[in-house]
Amino acid sequence: MIQRKLTLVMENKPGALARVVGLFHQRGYNIDSLHVDPIEDFEPFRFIEDELGIKFQVGEVSRLTIRTTVGDKLMRQILRQINKLIEVIAVSDDESTYLKGVLRNENLL
Amino acid sequence: MKIAGNDILIQSLINEGVEYIFGYPGGAALHIYDSIFNQKEMQHILVRHEQGATHAADGYARATGKPGVVLVTSGPGATNAITGIATAFMDSIPMVVISGQVQSHLIGTDAFQETDMIGVSRPIVKHSFTVDKQENIAQIVKEAFHIATSGRQGPVVIDVPKDLTNPDELFDFNYPEKANIRSYNPPVKPENHQVSRAVDAILTAERPVIYAGGGTISSNASCELRELNELLDFPVTNTLMGLGVYPGTGKRFLGMLGMHGTYQANMAMHNADLIIAVGARFDDRITNTPEKFAPKAKVIHFDVDHSSVSKIIEADIAVFGQVKDSLKAINNYLRSRKDEINREKISPWHQQIREWKEKYGLNHELYKNDSDEHPILPQAAVQHIYQESEGKAFVTSDVGQHQMFAAQYYHFDEPRKWINSGGLGTMGFGLPSAMGVKLAYPEEEVICITGEGSIQMCIQELSTCSQYKLPIKIFNINNLALGMVKQWQDMNYDGRHSSISYEDSLPDFVGLAESYGHVGIKITKNSELKEGIAKALAIKDKLVFVDIYVDPNEHVYPMLVAPNGSLKDMWLGKGEKT
Repeated sequence: MIQRKLTLVMENKPGALARVVGLFHQRGYNIDSLHVDPIEDFEPFRFIEDELGIKFQVGEVSRLTIRTTVGDKLMRQILRQINKLIEVIAVSDDESTYLKGVLRNENLL
Repeated sequence: MKIAGNDILIQSLINEGVEYIFGYPGGAALHIYDSIFNQKEMQHILVRHEQGATHAADGYARATGKPGVVLVTSGPGATNAITGIATAFMDSIPMVVISGQVQSHLIGTDAFQETDMIGVSRPIVKHSFTVDKQENIAQIVKEAFHIATSGRQGPVVIDVPKDLTNPDELFDFNYPEKANIRSYNPPVKPENHQVSRAVDAILTAERPVIYAGGGTISSNASCELRELNELLDFPVTNTLMGLGVYPGTGKRFLGMLGMHGTYQANMAMHNADLIIAVGARFDDRITNTPEKFAPKAKVIHFDVDHSSVSKIIEADIAVFGQVKDSLKAINNYLRSRKDEINREKISPWHQQIREWKEKYGLNHELYKNDSDEHPILPQAAVQHIYQESEGKAFVTSDVGQHQMFAAQYYHFDEPRKWINSGGLGTMGFGLPSAMGVKLAYPEEEVICITGEGSIQMCIQELSTCSQYKLPIKIFNINNLALGMVKQWQDMNYDGRHSSISYEDSLPDFVGLAESYGHVGIKITKNSELKEGIAKALAIKDKLVFVDIYVDPNEHVYPMLVAPNGSLKDMWLGKGEKT
């Protein structure tokens, strides 16, 4: 069990954060720390815009950082569960990224 | 054309092709109900309790494959719907639930009949929406139906504050053609390398089992599964949720697997060298102790949901995508390598399975022994129902021993005919879900196999059946106690029967049914069974409630030994273990 960092890019909509936090409790995972901000500098996220063929507007999307202490297998399960949340655009751990539901074997966020 | 929020909502549902909406009115939903009153395309079914509405919509969805639609008011209307939403969520059933909400300016003030429905339902929905302005209603309805019916299906809640359905404020209405949700992209087609790896494993297997679950039904992949089996001639087992996807009377059918699965199905899984999991999720009622599950098997897992694969049992090969598309791809690729299929190689495996079946398989001919010297066996009652309905009925069930007996002894040859709450195990599901099925298929025989415990959890819906003239046939497997709980108490608590008996408080079910205008039949002896069931099924225009008194001491077997058992560890009878 080691502490790991998850990064999410998600729609900045009412209730979206509650879905992520609720999922951790519902599935029996623990959150060590959590940080959320609306994204203002889109430069690091241009690849998402290219992928989705859209242009983010200021205030539309948030970046979420969560630290959690779990083993490998559970980490994969957490990533997959978060990826299922409808408002999550991308989620990444150190090794992989789900971008709009498609798995990439690198941390893109 | 400009219309009001309430009409936008109802017109959107009509645009989605909704035939029936199951619901119950109340303050926050009154504008919406007024809109329902003013149209003729869609019929509202007034239930007697909101739980009944969700189960009825669920039954409709399971039988037809189309989403079930529910409308309830705020507060208690919404919370009463929760059990039914959770039931649909656990079994991945498409459903759209519209809940009224207090007026926007009252939200958060503990207003009359206010509940945070989005918060309360969050863990048991695929997604939920709060309507923020009238202009967004049509788009939200479009997205809700898209989410409910695509990918891994599930229930979606739309919470609508009352002021946003105000008939006096008018807006443009154009129903969108597509739902564009930029962050939602469920997998559709499998990748070629996954398919070819799966086929490599299939072609080298000597002791294979196909293990198909509810996902195969929701993906409408029964034909593709049967094609796969025609190519390979592999043994097939179905989960409780998957019954009917492969014919229950099919040559290679092992029966259901798991907690109350057949001896041969559980033994085949335990000893397999290849398990082909199709739209099934290895839940705890299937695996028993996961560490001891199928120790020699390689696992191929077909699923539309990434998070289901390797959640409990590590998959060696994962094929992501709609099960229907994945099976089509597998079948096509297998056909191109047809000369590599070696049926001889698996014939010793078929022989082994035949031996298991002969040794401890279920006795499907109990119904032939109808002596009045012993009480009615619940298994024999189900067998008679199967015989008299010629195996063609839709069968809904509740939860408990009768559910397991129905799953074991009613053989479903087609998918979507067996309607039960597998994941959540919701008592009270049987009768209202049968209403949804009967509305969808008025010409078909719809049977509810229930118990005297479960039926009393939603018995108020007998009134709904009377109002809408739904001639369902209810078979109440009456053992005078909460049978499955009693069985566990017999087996694990030295027979201390804590709170499982109603003493003398059971109603006269025949009289109760008659008081709603239905027909009641009481059966207490084996010699009355065949005739009584036939008589009930012959009545085409009335609901018939058949109260069948069965042996109160009967247990369901086989039963997996838990905790710490594997799939080969089963109770086969009272005191008899593998």
